[in-house]
Amino acid sequence: MNIGTRKILDRSFTAVGLTSILLMALALLVVVVPIVSGGIGAIFFKGTIEHRKLQLREFDNGNREVLDRQIAESEPYRQEVFRMLDAFAAELETFEPTRKREYSSKVSSVKDIVSHLLGPVPGEPEPILLRFQYGTTRWEKAEESLHDLMFVTKWDTSNPEEMGKQYFVPRVDEFAGTSLAALFPYIEENLEKMLLPEQTFYWGFLTERSLDAHIFGGVWAEIQGTLFLAIGAMLFAFPMGVIAAIYFTEYARENVFTSILRSANSTLAGVPSIVFGLFGLAFFINTIKVSDSKSVLAGSLTLAIMILPTIIRAAEEAILSVPKTYKEASIGLGSTKWRTIVTVILPAALPGIITGGIISLGRAAGETAPIIFTAAVSVGATIGLGDVLTSPTPALSWNIYNLASEHEAANEIRHVQYGMVLALISIVLLLNLSAILLRARISKKLKG
Amino acid sequence: MADAALDGGKKSDAFVISRAKLRRQRIAKFLGEGFLLAIASFVAIIVLFIFYFVAVDAIPFFQQRGFAEFFTSTSWYPADEPGEFGALAIIFGSAMVTIGSALIAVPLGISAAICLSDVLPFSVRQYAKPVIEMLAAIPSVAYGFFALVILAPLLQNHGGPILMWAWWLIAGPFVLLLVVVAGDLLASAVGGESESDVLRNVFTAVLGVVAVLFLYWVGKTLFAIQILTGTNALNVSLILSFMALPTIVSVSEDSLQAVGRELREGSYALGATRAETIVKTVLPAASSGIIAAVILGIMRALGETMVVWMASGNSSHIPDPWFNYLDSIRTLTATIAGDMGEADQVTGSARYHVLFAMGLLLLCFSFVGNFISERIVVRQRKILAGE
Repeated sequence: MNIGTRKILDRSFTAVGLTSILLMALALLVVVVPIVSGGIGAIFFKGTIEHRKLQLREFDNGNREVLDRQIAESEPYRQEVFRMLDAFAAELETFEPTRKREYSSKVSSVKDIVSHLLGPVPGEPEPILLRFQYGTTRWEKAEESLHDLMFVTKWDTSNPEEMGKQYFVPRVDEFAGTSLAALFPYIEENLEKMLLPEQTFYWGFLTERSLDAHIFGGVWAEIQGTLFLAIGAMLFAFPMGVIAAIYFTEYARENVFTSILRSANSTLAGVPSIVFGLFGLAFFINTIKVSDSKSVLAGSLTLAIMILPTIIRAAEEAILSVPKTYKEASIGLGSTKWRTIVTVILPAALPGIITGGIISLGRAAGETAPIIFTAAVSVGATIGLGDVLTSPTPALSWNIYNLASEHEAANEIRHVQYGMVLALISIVLLLNLSAILLRARISKKLKG
Repeated sequence: MADAALDGGKKSDAFVISRAKLRRQRIAKFLGEGFLLAIASFVAIIVLFIFYFVAVDAIPFFQQRGFAEFFTSTSWYPADEPGEFGALAIIFGSAMVTIGSALIAVPLGISAAICLSDVLPFSVRQYAKPVIEMLAAIPSVAYGFFALVILAPLLQNHGGPILMWAWWLIAGPFVLLLVVVAGDLLASAVGGESESDVLRNVFTAVLGVVAVLFLYWVGKTLFAIQILTGTNALNVSLILSFMALPTIVSVSEDSLQAVGRELREGSYALGATRAETIVKTVLPAASSGIIAAVILGIMRALGETMVVWMASGNSSHIPDPWFNYLDSIRTLTATIAGDMGEADQVTGSARYHVLFAMGLLLLCFSFVGNFISERIVVRQRKILAGE
């Protein structure tokens, strides 16, 4: 082969390698960046006056006087809208029956959007569900609703070969010649004055309970559930993993029995996470009945056996990386083996062991499949520390799935889902980052 | 003698070991080691328990319905009376996304591992490693959310252009490289020893034109594709490959590192380039470790639940044609996760037990995969140590 071609091959080989690394970094960015930017939107957004009303009434946050003043400020514009609707209702009575029927269905969809924007229309019965008691709390959602109000979405399916195409018809055309035609330009012009959007920093998203199945409010219940489950799993798995690692590194003889134990460890590490869920259901709940049904305890136990192999491996590695001279010095001074382990080896290996523990904690916090059947519920309030033995809990990982795939208004509450994913990723990545930093410090220390 | 020490017991016994104390120490040591052993064997007990308890709930299904229907039928209607439990399409779906993700993750992962172990300087490697760890640390449900909420609409609305650009960016450089190499080989085959630059350039140019036409034609075909649903096997395979990558990269990198300097230096001394050294010397020596890495990565993709549950479309049928990655599929893991909620109330029914049968199937796959990869790693370590 020509030298030039060989050179090209060599260069492109390097290029392929570098590209694959870059692609991985890119994949990380592509996944993380939209989630972070979407998640920040759950906390930092343009909140409308409805958001402030909700906060004051449901959580007692905010300044009542300022809010009252703003309500007074926005009220005239709202009254004008309602007056127009009333006027049209009166006008509707004068129409002939077919025309009346046609317009009353059209106006009712207008009314729906208006009450979605501004909250319940006065004179109508007070809605029971909280989601209908307030208007749109976020300005970008209000703009979407405004678009729905201004335009009717239609589908062009004239060409059967292709997928239907979306197009919009101005809604005002439907009401041409009636008194309601004036409503549309009026709302378009004055929506900002009716809703008074301002930049809002909604810290409560992380610390408040959710209202009406996450339509409003925060995600504290989920965060707390995740913490309970992950910490509970650590309480079981960490001591056990460290003890097992001590056995493997200091006591185990190289024989068949030990190698079986080691293969068991790697088998356990490879078991699919959903199978852990099945096992947790079949064993912890149906067989030994740690609780009557799903509970934090059962979930923690299931997660604990899932992260056990990781902890054992990390602890083994940490113990093996303690220099032999430490051990020899301690034995030479006359201490027993056990004393050497407890007073010399473990303290020296501790940072490494903790690193492994932190990574496992992150894994336990992020896993979903093992807790589906053992601990997670989709809606629920925060539970107290005393209830962990018996009651299930909402958890971030499970509720992200639930809100994104099964919630009746999944498209309406994308910001909540993004916020939850961001909260979960932050917990997990912060844990991992601290583990990475800790490990960097250890390797520096070992180098001297 | 210990007896003598016992007789002289009036002295301070700090330096004297009495028989009783010796016994106590021995018992303590025995108990202590026993305790450690008990904890250490706990893992093995758990593994046995997992197999036992999953199997115990899986066996009633096979007793009630036999094996034939589960493995050969594609009609999956567990909620009907009487239910139908043909899982072939579901098993096929699992295989499909596993293979799809392996097709993406294996080449990418191995070249990334080579890059980490042989190409990048140490200082850069230190920054690349955390990227891989972060990729591994992101929870599966976050990947699933990304696949469902961001990637699926993108594929559905701009599927054709995305496929075309992916084709151009990925296949383009490779095809052009192939052209250069093939031109060179052809020239030396035709011209014999007297390699002439003119001949090579002519061959390369002709092949280049053909290649560009080919690239353009495939790109145009891909551009015209309309993806009916964004929650499909392609979407899931792509995301699963992200999740399998960290395992593949780190395990293959370990085995590439284990090959040692001597082989590499020997190859360089014979005049090989870095690419030739790696492809002809290092990779064969590390091949078994890389196979182990691939198996572990595939197992990760096969056992993954949340991504496939959220973004595979969950429709239990074999795509038409069977390699159509743009169709929705359903996998074993997603079926277990999705159906247990309804089957849970009817504990004891075939509908409940069939999910454990699926779990058992997954468990057996993962056990076999793990066993093989572990054997391979042990053997490689022995061979490398023996040399």
